[in-house]
Amino acid sequence: MSTTRTITFTLNGKKRDFQIAPGELLVKLLRRSGLTGTKEGCDEGTCGACTVNVDGRAVLSCIMPAFLAHGRNVVTIEGVGDFDRVHPIQQALVDAGAVQCGYCTPGLVMSAKAMFEENPAASDEDIRVHTDGNLCRCTGYEKIWTALRNVRDANKPAQA
Amino acid sequence: MKITDFKIPTRLDEALAALRDLGPAALPVAGATSLVFIPEDQPMTAVDLNRLGLDGIRRDGDAFRIGAATRVAALQKRHEPGWVLDRVALTLSSQQIRNESTLGGNICRVFPWSDFPAALLALGAGLVIRGAQEKEMTADEFFSSQPARLFRGGDLLTHIRVPAVGAGAGFGYKKVRQTATGFSLATAAACLQLDGGGIRSARAALSAAVPFPARCAAVEAALAGKKASEGLLREAALNGLSGLKFKEAEGMSAEYIGRLAAVTLGDALVEAWAQAKEQAS
Amino acid sequence: MAKKNFKVVNQPVKKLDALPLALGKPLFVADFKPADALYAKLLWSPHAHAIIKSIDISAAEKMPGVHCVLYHGNVPRIAHTTAGQGFPEPSPYDTFMFDRKVRYVGDRVAAVAAETPEIAEAAVKAIKVEYERLEPVLSIEAALKEGSPVIHDEPEARAVIPVPYEPKKNIAARVGMDVGNVEQAMAGAPYKLDNSYYIHMAQHCPIEPHVTMAHVNAEGRLVIRTSTQVPFHARRIAAQTMDIPVQQVRVIKPRIGGGFGAKQEVLLEDVVGMLAWRSRRPVLLMYTREEEFVSSRTRHPERIRVRLAADPEGTLTAVGLDCISNTGAYGAHALTVVCNSGSKVLPLYRAPNVHFTGTAVYTNLPVGGAYRGYGATQAAFAVESAVDELAEQIGVDPLVLRSNHHIRSGETSPVFAALGEGKAGVEQAIGSCGLDKCIRLGAKAIGWKKRGDWRKKKGRYRRGIGMCCLMQGSSIPEIDMGAASLKMNEDGSFNLLMGATDLGTGSDTVLAQIAAEAIGTTSDKILVYSSDTDMTPFDVGAYASSTTYLTGNAVLDAGLKIKKQILGVAAEMMEKKPADLEIRDAQVFARDGSGSVTFQDVALHSLYAANQFQIAAISSHISHKSPPPFAAHFAEVEVDTETGLIRVVKYVAATDCGTAIHPKLAEGQVEGAVMNGICYALTEQYLFNSAGRMLNDSFLHYKIYSMRDKPEMVTILVPTYEKTGPFGAKSVSEIGINGPCPAIANAIYNAVGVRLREAPFTPEKIWRGLQQHNA
Repeated sequence: MSTTRTITFTLNGKKRDFQIAPGELLVKLLRRSGLTGTKEGCDEGTCGACTVNVDGRAVLSCIMPAFLAHGRNVVTIEGVGDFDRVHPIQQALVDAGAVQCGYCTPGLVMSAKAMFEENPAASDEDIRVHTDGNLCRCTGYEKIWTALRNVRDANKPAQA
Repeated sequence: MKITDFKIPTRLDEALAALRDLGPAALPVAGATSLVFIPEDQPMTAVDLNRLGLDGIRRDGDAFRIGAATRVAALQKRHEPGWVLDRVALTLSSQQIRNESTLGGNICRVFPWSDFPAALLALGAGLVIRGAQEKEMTADEFFSSQPARLFRGGDLLTHIRVPAVGAGAGFGYKKVRQTATGFSLATAAACLQLDGGGIRSARAALSAAVPFPARCAAVEAALAGKKASEGLLREAALNGLSGLKFKEAEGMSAEYIGRLAAVTLGDALVEAWAQAKEQAS
Repeated sequence: MAKKNFKVVNQPVKKLDALPLALGKPLFVADFKPADALYAKLLWSPHAHAIIKSIDISAAEKMPGVHCVLYHGNVPRIAHTTAGQGFPEPSPYDTFMFDRKVRYVGDRVAAVAAETPEIAEAAVKAIKVEYERLEPVLSIEAALKEGSPVIHDEPEARAVIPVPYEPKKNIAARVGMDVGNVEQAMAGAPYKLDNSYYIHMAQHCPIEPHVTMAHVNAEGRLVIRTSTQVPFHARRIAAQTMDIPVQQVRVIKPRIGGGFGAKQEVLLEDVVGMLAWRSRRPVLLMYTREEEFVSSRTRHPERIRVRLAADPEGTLTAVGLDCISNTGAYGAHALTVVCNSGSKVLPLYRAPNVHFTGTAVYTNLPVGGAYRGYGATQAAFAVESAVDELAEQIGVDPLVLRSNHHIRSGETSPVFAALGEGKAGVEQAIGSCGLDKCIRLGAKAIGWKKRGDWRKKKGRYRRGIGMCCLMQGSSIPEIDMGAASLKMNEDGSFNLLMGATDLGTGSDTVLAQIAAEAIGTTSDKILVYSSDTDMTPFDVGAYASSTTYLTGNAVLDAGLKIKKQILGVAAEMMEKKPADLEIRDAQVFARDGSGSVTFQDVALHSLYAANQFQIAAISSHISHKSPPPFAAHFAEVEVDTETGLIRVVKYVAATDCGTAIHPKLAEGQVEGAVMNGICYALTEQYLFNSAGRMLNDSFLHYKIYSMRDKPEMVTILVPTYEKTGPFGAKSVSEIGINGPCPAIANAIYNAVGVRLREAPFTPEKIWRGLQQHNA
């Protein structure tokens, strides 16, 4: 039978050890560690609700074995913002009316965050492509689309 | 997939030794995005291939040398003359998958919907495999049947060599799916090398619509040495696939998928021709 | 209607829960899982139709870590419906917590609660079941065939209200009406059509699947936290099915990750409740995505016959509609969905002769249920396609035909009185109707004039434009009730408690706006707590496009009562008459300018100073009308004539929802519904094998759109003022999903001349249509 193994990774800025079953998926580890902002919607890598950032890339924690995070830098929605330090992407989604049921929102924030950190001036097409893995059944994407373009436009002066 | 242990080697020889020792119980893993498609059965020991220096793309003469653990996103985000895999990468699944999924992982086990095999067949890629020694095989050999067969003894795909699409050459790639991130209904890739107005050589390949990725020999034969025209290219695609067996997909008949594949291959050929004309020396 | 001077209503105020949701705070059922919770897993039937000959749970029960195993042999056998509807439900009692018979692949056989998901899964696999397979019934046609196997042969199956119910014929419901004589009108008509349409099964795909958690609290009562649209019905039906008193059960709905009708179903509460009740441990059960597709609920597919007739002037003289719906293995919403195919579609156009029949049949397929649009989606596809076909026959612009015939303000339809939900309907005259303006503005936005005749279009890629008109309702009149209670706090804030259920739509915010507007404060001063059967007043829940209109009126009334009490206290404080005072911006002013007090002053006075009492009110509301929202939808598509591949280029939805209490959220309702409708029209479908097993139970093969697939969308809200609604509001949540199927079908025809009467519109169907042209 499987034995428990120890891995180490940086989670929201803090380096920590984790006891895991060898096949444990990252989302299960995160949620049982009290970080429930990362959602489960399909457990097969198709809906994007479980998106977290690993070394700055948006990845699907529901299909990623936790051991692959060993030595990496993992950021979850809890590491992005809070009431006293709302991230601009979160604020833009709230302001645009892009949060309906909100179940897909944390995952979407993580995809958008990875995209804007790589490219603050993401084009319209970049926005479409980098959020294509975050399914939303409530909004029809229209308000999300508005919100993310607003984030990009607000980034622009800093770029110029 | 039932992972009951894992190893995180940091040197290639260490990884190869682990794969050999574990034999059929070894599960080489890099992006891990296809594990959900592998039925859960025997306990496996995962061998992490991410720390072996197998990622990265570099230009090597008239080809690109791509580490097998290179992420699809890295292919997607590279733009330079002669590089065409960005077009292929952009159509693969979702961004989160592209961020994790590797080129090697995509081709070492061919799934019914795989995209890269058609592109690599059309481009005439080479596959570098490390076992006791290093050997290179052509895409035609590699994809002659399920490539997973090649790795049962613990060998490892380390690199993929993809020719740059240079002067007088063009690459066309079309993938038809119902939604942007959906599995392919038909994937077609084509490479044309022009010689003045004539076609010096043509390579065409299909995946997804057919049971296994394959070159389209009859199409290629109908084009080689001919004067290029849109009509010729489309006709070759429409007439050259009659011998193939097509699969039904997503409620649509094999007959229709065959039609779709033929039109799609025609589109890929026309796209390749357009690029080749653009790159005419 | 003159623009009202609203301060809070009709403004895009901050959605109350948006920021906590965007921050990823623990707000959903599974986020509350205590460390000692057990995990539940269900055993599903692998057969479409079978008798359980024997079942052996002993091996599962003995496994270490297994705390409870349930199956038909150890739970109460109580016939009920899972449909979360008012009592007595119009859906038949044909379901048991577990039964000796299984009626579709994915029907439930047993349940396990164990320490870990892995143990629960292993225990489920350890349950040995011997089945005697029966012939499955896999289509409407097979179900209605003489001598077809009977799916519900159990003696308990019954209707609990006086409606036709014939399980021995596989008929779960029948309804109908006639005005005039459609046959006669057809016989002499110069223009007429008699066509059959088919519209398919689909799933709601909330991103949060069904999830329920239950525990027995320190007082020995069962507390169920569940992702539901109907907390009060869930309490009633779970208690009924478990055979325990309603007072032993408390149902709490936290934030829920979308519902769209799927969660108007009491699917997990009884089993999870029973597992917790028996094991005395908290139990969590969350459906996998596969289970959500197979063992949740679906849109009822319908086969629909439409008959239309027009006189020589092109005036519509007859509309006939015969709908047969496939309710699958159980009759959840069977009667009411098919009834709504008539009641929410037929009143749209005036015709002297109207005919309707609705029949729901049992099959051995996944179970139909409530799904946004609720029968109107199905019939709108058929009727709005047929209207285009008739227009072509007459030689008139389909936009003009619709404009000339649609119902208008002040008019009525015999359909309203004839078709209710499980009983006769309620007569009503149309109040507000902005459909003319919807048509006008929508046509302009899509460029209707440029559409042209398909016969003149050339080239490989051809574009076409199609349209449709729609109506829905706002609540179920004289059946649904919503209630609200308000109390004032000492700082001038208010607690608003409601049974109403925000399933992600923003109804908590909308209702807070109504309360704030009524009282004269801002919505951030309204602290909303909703959907807790112990703490909040009753509400039927979130369905039938009711919350804004129905509960909104209860909130409005409670707000006005509060306002009166505030004025009373302020009058005492200011030594004035209440009539000499007015409220503005959370303050009470003397009209003569002699002074003012703040809400905080009023609250402190009422609680601490003199004649102390709690400023508080509770109100209930039922409606005697169900005012329809109206909409005109327009789709532009591009078809590849070589392959039949289709792309929606642009979609325009113009909607009259009365006053949009929160315009951005109202737009969001339209946009979400339209997007869902577009995927439904083009890519969503259930594929089954010949044994009735679903083949595409995953987002990999059941395609819903992502941001990358989104066409250009234009959302137009056409304001009207519905006098019976709170601040002029009507509903907006469902209507938008009904448009894409007909608008896209009509656009495909306009592009390439292929008329598709079977949805979804796959590339192959379009390509085959093109082949027929060429032949």
